[in-house]
Amino acid sequence: MNSEELLAKLSECVEFGKVNKNAPFPPAMKGMDGADELTAQALEMGVDPVDILNNALIGAMDKVGEKFSQKKIFVPQMLISAKAMNAAMEHLKPYFQSGQVKRKGKFIIGTVAGDLHDIGKNLVAMIVEGAGWEVIDLGVDVNAAKFMQAIDTNPEAVVGLSALLTTTMASMKNIVAEIKGKYPEVKLIVGGAPVTEAFKTEIGADGYSDDPQGAVSYLNALVA
Amino acid sequence: MTDKTVNSDVNQWFAHNQGLVDILPEKVVVEPYRILKGMGMQPADADDYLLDLISNEMEACKKKLMPEAAFNVHFSHQFSPGKYHIKLDEITFKTSKIVYSFLKKSTYLVLFSCTCGPAIENYSRELMKEGNSLEGLIVDLIGSEMAEWITEEVHLFIEKAMEQFGWGVSNRYSPGYCNWPVSEQHKLFALLGENNCGIKLTPTSLMLPIKSVSGMLGIGPGLKRLAYKCNICDDKNCIMRGK
Ligand code: B1M
Repeated sequence: MNSEELLAKLSECVEFGKVNKNAPFPPAMKGMDGADELTAQALEMGVDPVDILNNALIGAMDKVGEKFSQKKIFVPQMLISAKAMNAAMEHLKPYFQSGQVKRKGKFIIGTVAGDLHDIGKNLVAMIVEGAGWEVIDLGVDVNAAKFMQAIDTNPEAVVGLSALLTTTMASMKNIVAEIKGKYPEVKLIVGGAPVTEAFKTEIGADGYSDDPQGAVSYLNALVA
Repeated sequence: MTDKTVNSDVNQWFAHNQGLVDILPEKVVVEPYRILKGMGMQPADADDYLLDLISNEMEACKKKLMPEAAFNVHFSHQFSPGKYHIKLDEITFKTSKIVYSFLKKSTYLVLFSCTCGPAIENYSRELMKEGNSLEGLIVDLIGSEMAEWITEEVHLFIEKAMEQFGWGVSNRYSPGYCNWPVSEQHKLFALLGENNCGIKLTPTSLMLPIKSVSGMLGIGPGLKRLAYKCNICDDKNCIMRGK
């Protein structure tokens, strides 16, 4: 296989969620090399890690995101693809550390104070990470102080707030106001079942999405 | 039988039965379609790989489940129409229009708490940390469904017991549902006393372990479980609206 074919194969592994040779999924690729082996082979062959990231991995995850938005695939397939992407990313770690390869940016996310519902927030975190962002997950019941502490150490990060209880929408509003008061330039995206575009505008957040892919599109547009 | 005799029989039943409810982990049922639904899927969308994964994690969760459920009854109560306040013993709950309207015909009110214990949510977190996000998500969804199953079991247990006295039960409501502020959780736990299943409240009124449910239901003659009435609720943002 030449490097182009190898990258195409790697891209396919991420798109269809083939993590490594031993992985049973997808059944049609049983016994074949997965994202793990193919990334190692590409690096050995001397392929530029930037090309691996941009031409194989991120492109594949973009396709996954698109298919998810069109409801052609569902959350499980998306998470398996993210896992294959992460297996490949493990090999790229040293290049991230040396600065040769860069992620798209940093994304801080948390479920706002007063709320412990985190299934949706976790999904957003996983999918944003799979799309090439470094994710800092602050967990649940996160107050303004904790968000701002994370912003202090990562001033370039975009911040995501999730809420599931209608009562915590007030908490979201306060947190947005506090963050914007101290860091007017930090971009804030909000989401969660009771949150709407109108509510985003009302509380002065910058972005809103009702699903993880929308959050990815918003983030990607910021760095495009 | 006079109303008085029935009331005293009900009192006796509670005197003997309130407190912990026996929940056997092996009896807990979670239908795979509920987990698929939590991931936005219909049964027809699932392949064998996913169904096997769900079934394996279900078994793992059953082993980790440490179910606890408890309830107690409150005979002394006062309803304040207009304000939607319900005073139980010395504590006044500021409920909402919906919650109030479903509970106001109750002869007595029952408070409950239910939990899966901490092991399932810890297991989910571990799986996610190891990079097994799909498995972690499935376990999280199973834990949530188990918490709901345990709560339903308590509701049914009380409903069945009340049938023998010709009484019924209302819907159950939790602080946080239908515009009843979640901050009222502190009052509920004060009245639950030792029937709190070891659940701790955070300063923001949430329960730890996370896979826990608390709430209130009414009992009395003529009470029935009814469909939620979104049309009279003033919580325009509620995600359950019209579902
Ligand atoms: C930053 O950018 C973004 C962008 C997009 C973003 C985003 C951020 N965040 C989310 N998104 C978006 O992307 C995700 C993927 O598509 C989506 O995320 P979602 O989170 O919307 O969707 C998830 C993938 C799936 N959805 C969910 O996970 C929520 C489902 C329901 C059933 C639910 C669950 C599962 C649970 N609960 Co709770 N629970 C309910 C929910 C009712 C329902 N049917 O929706 C709701 C939210 N709960 C409620 C309540 C009140 C509570 N719950 C409680 C408990 C629980 C369980 C433990 C049983 C479980 C917790 C699971 C967990 N770890 O999060 C209690 C609190 C627990 C505690 N520990 O204190 C308690 C407070 C009740 C109580 N007193 O016992 C209600 C809120 C009412 C309201 N209107 O505010 C509720 C609507 C149920 C109801 N019948 O009314 C999008 O919104």
